[in-house]
Amino acid sequence: MLLRWLASRQFRSYLRRFTLLWIVGKIANGATAASIKLPPLAFRPGTELVVCVFELAILIAFIKRANEDILLGNLGLGLGAALAPLVLVHFALSLALAVFG
Amino acid sequence: MISGDSITLSLGGRSILQAAYVDAVPGAVTVLVGRSGAGKTTLFEVLVGRRRPDGGQVRWNGERVPRPSLAKLARRGLFYHPDRPWLAMQLTPADHFALLGSGPSDWHAAADMLGVTAWLSRRVGALSGGELRLTELALGLALAPSVALFDEPFRGLEPRHREQVATALRLLARRGAAVLYADHDVESVRRTADRLFSIERGATRLVEGFRERPLGEWYHEWPL
Repeated sequence: MLLRWLASRQFRSYLRRFTLLWIVGKIANGATAASIKLPPLAFRPGTELVVCVFELAILIAFIKRANEDILLGNLGLGLGAALAPLVLVHFALSLALAVFG
Repeated sequence: MISGDSITLSLGGRSILQAAYVDAVPGAVTVLVGRSGAGKTTLFEVLVGRRRPDGGQVRWNGERVPRPSLAKLARRGLFYHPDRPWLAMQLTPADHFALLGSGPSDWHAAADMLGVTAWLSRRVGALSGGELRLTELALGLALAPSVALFDEPFRGLEPRHREQVATALRLLARRGAAVLYADHDVESVRRTADRLFSIERGATRLVEGFRERPLGEWYHEWPL
């Protein structure tokens, strides 16, 4: 089920929205870091985790508002399992930006 | 089989469910009938783990389910149809069926039966209320659940679609599923129900002989 879920259009739509949230989060995080004279694109695991939790909370609020958690539930997918791959996406994007940015 | 036993729940100091009991048995359509605000939706939400009750238990095949959740129960064979749209509006019905993969049953048959094939590639957000409901139901049929819960499945449907929904509910039961739905329309209940629970002010009771007795005799026997 998980592989089918990752290949689905619904997961891709969550991935798109989550990537937008990551960009917003990265801008806010970078601006805060720059204001206290820290490198804005550096990878700080603790901060990344906090920002990732915020991004997921916003995405979950959207999902619940549209009752799509019921769709996932009927497919046997809890929100945690359905969205867990996005945590990897967040850390991979942030790490890539820190290395290549 | 699923059951909710001695379910109590208060919200904002107001008692919503009072030692409520309901169950669904395989091969039968069980209906929970009650007026708006009687506690039907809340009881369903407790059964599928979307609300935590103050007391009581949810049981699956007689076994207590600790901290039930929809995903957990769905993996055991539950399908839940709430009283509001729950499909992804930006996807098509075909995308939703694709989520099932080869699935436990052939979804084409379910889509054909409810006429969903006619709008398979339209966005869900562009469907009419009736088309949306039939699509949700077809997805439920395709999942081949062993227990199916529907909260007001006939609400807002035109007569033609009501007949299709009633047929689908009967079909699910004929296939051996335990079907439980909530409604306040007693006439539709008469046509579809094998078993009947009534609910009023959060208290439930099993209604015996509801087919033989005149409507007014049992519908107004609420424990007011």
